[in-house]
Amino acid sequence: MTDDRVALLLLSQEIASFLYAEAELLDEWRHDEWLALLAEDIRYWMPMRRNVKYGDTTREFTRETEDISWFDEGKDTLTRRVRQIQTGIHWAEEPQSRITHMVSNVQLLEVTPDAHAPLEIIAKSRFLIYRNRVETETDLLVGKREDTLRRTGDGWLIARRKIILDQSVLLTKNLTFFF
Amino acid sequence: MNGTRGYHPGLVDLASGQISREIFVNDEIYAQEQERVFARSWLFIGHESQIPKPGDFFVSRMGEESVILCRDRASRVHVFLNSCRHRGMKVCRYDDGNTAVFTCPYHGWSYGTDGALVGVPFFREAYHSELDKSKWHLVEVAQLCCYKETVWANWDASAPPFLEYLGAFRRFLDLILDGWDGREGQAELIGGVQKWVIPCNWKFPAENFSGDTYHNISHRSVDLVGAGPSGRSRRDYNELNVARKLHVALPDRGHQTITYALPKYHQPQAAYQNSPEVADYFRHCEEERRRRPGAESRLMGAPGEIFPNVALLPRQPRTLAVWHPKSAHETEVWRFFFVDRDAPQQVKNFLRDYYIRYSGPAGMTEQDDMENWNYAHAASRGTIARRYPYTYEMGMGHAVENWEWDGLKMPGRVIDLSKAQASEEPMRNLYRRWAEFMEAGSWNKLMPWRRMAAAEAQAAK
Amino acid sequence: MSYPINIRDLPVGARVMLATGAEVEIVSNPEDGVWLFGRYLSSADDPAMVGQEDMIFAQDVVAVRS
Repeated sequence: MTDDRVALLLLSQEIASFLYAEAELLDEWRHDEWLALLAEDIRYWMPMRRNVKYGDTTREFTRETEDISWFDEGKDTLTRRVRQIQTGIHWAEEPQSRITHMVSNVQLLEVTPDAHAPLEIIAKSRFLIYRNRVETETDLLVGKREDTLRRTGDGWLIARRKIILDQSVLLTKNLTFFF
Repeated sequence: MNGTRGYHPGLVDLASGQISREIFVNDEIYAQEQERVFARSWLFIGHESQIPKPGDFFVSRMGEESVILCRDRASRVHVFLNSCRHRGMKVCRYDDGNTAVFTCPYHGWSYGTDGALVGVPFFREAYHSELDKSKWHLVEVAQLCCYKETVWANWDASAPPFLEYLGAFRRFLDLILDGWDGREGQAELIGGVQKWVIPCNWKFPAENFSGDTYHNISHRSVDLVGAGPSGRSRRDYNELNVARKLHVALPDRGHQTITYALPKYHQPQAAYQNSPEVADYFRHCEEERRRRPGAESRLMGAPGEIFPNVALLPRQPRTLAVWHPKSAHETEVWRFFFVDRDAPQQVKNFLRDYYIRYSGPAGMTEQDDMENWNYAHAASRGTIARRYPYTYEMGMGHAVENWEWDGLKMPGRVIDLSKAQASEEPMRNLYRRWAEFMEAGSWNKLMPWRRMAAAEAQAAK
Repeated sequence: MSYPINIRDLPVGARVMLATGAEVEIVSNPEDGVWLFGRYLSSADDPAMVGQEDMIFAQDVVAVRS
């Protein structure tokens, strides 16, 4: 019993550390290293949200692979986004923004097969992204992420990320950064 | 603070091709625009596929104001101001859905989907049954038009009907609404309307989409990484091998567009090369379009603008944007994306991927436009900056009328961009019309074509 | 003074009693918590209403009969 709890505790810290290290890469604009943390078959999805009637659980979010979302893509497109920033002439990120990703409330929702030798984890976290740009442009974006993490020989990879932003009308002019 | 008065003639100087920065940054001009432009223009509301069943509604915008697009129990389409007649509270704060009534949460007044006031608490007791409910229905637009399932509305009863307002531009609206294979009205809206706020005046995006062919440098980074449907550039341009790129501007209506005029006999050019199935599908559609009698087979869609604030992009990507004014310094963009309703799912999926990475706030192309609009606006707010007009002189005097190529006629004023590459004829056209709206006391002064038609009829007698 | 009832989720067919003593059967519920569409089953106050359909305001509903 205690062994199981200790294994889970250690695993929780391991996953939190992984997410903090990922945030570090993004904040430092080390995007190639960040791309290396993404599985080749990653799905990266940020649905849009609607204001719906109380109790309507089906229509609040746009549907993956069916509706228009803010993001709904794989590694190829994410790589192109990184390459675009790296051209040095992506004006929306030139000069670059200053950005901080705060990650918290890390929970392990599902661990397969178990915490002693996990192969796949569904982890939920909260994010607060602070983005400051040029002179006084400032954006604060807050929400949740549901990640599927897959263990490989090189460590954890992100196989799926669902980003739930707490906005319906988007209050930032662009999404040139990653969640 | 703006130290100048509001709109006055001369801010838009078409003789010199120069336009004052005031029209973008002046709060008083912005306030006047709400009356002079948005209160009497045809504005895009939504698409009938958003309200298929009785009781369905979609909350939209007209200018700054919230409106409800809905279908009543008899399946008629309505557009209402989203505000209770009693004390103003929004009667609907959901984005969309289905309802029997719109009920105000303040005092409980309730309206049917036809806008009628049906529920008044304590009507017999407190109102002594004296209130004339028929006078207090939801405020409804003066005119409404459903054109190939797009819904347009106008608060002004004296405005010309929508198709007359469009005039010869109807052909270009058809490019986005008709099927890729030329069948009429096949467009289906993909679920999910993108809504986001950008820090600039609405006229920056409006003039960009009127036909800015000069700003490739904005998009050089996306061209370099190849986000287009063939893995190169941002869209397929092979039609330039055979087509003539044109600017077409309709001076009396204020609509304008880039377009590609194709030769009489042409082969479909390679496109959508990232997916052989999708490429085949579009090649087949283009061949069908050429075979179909009456179909528009010699025009390919490109960015264009319906006055005042609706941007069309009929081809790559296939999207319609509305630039809703929020203040002189802020605009709320709503973006709608279309596919053909019976396109194979694989084609719809391919296009959806492309649309999301091209347009919108996560759009690799649109992001750089917005950066430019943002800081062009910001740099134009100051006292000194406002003294210096923008130049819109490119290609002045070089437009031709009655343009024709091998049987293909283009309306309005046309500039052939095959050699010229770019012109600012569309922008001059947009602002000419804008100035007319700002100056005209009534719609009578805004319909020169009616006077001409009357004069011609008179002369014929 | 009666305690307030949330009429939002009352089902079609349910019967409610109004402050006037009238009994109404719910014909449809717009689920806004403010109105019901009902048919009068009894109305001592105004017998002409029996069988009539009308909009019923939430504040007038004092009890749920069934």
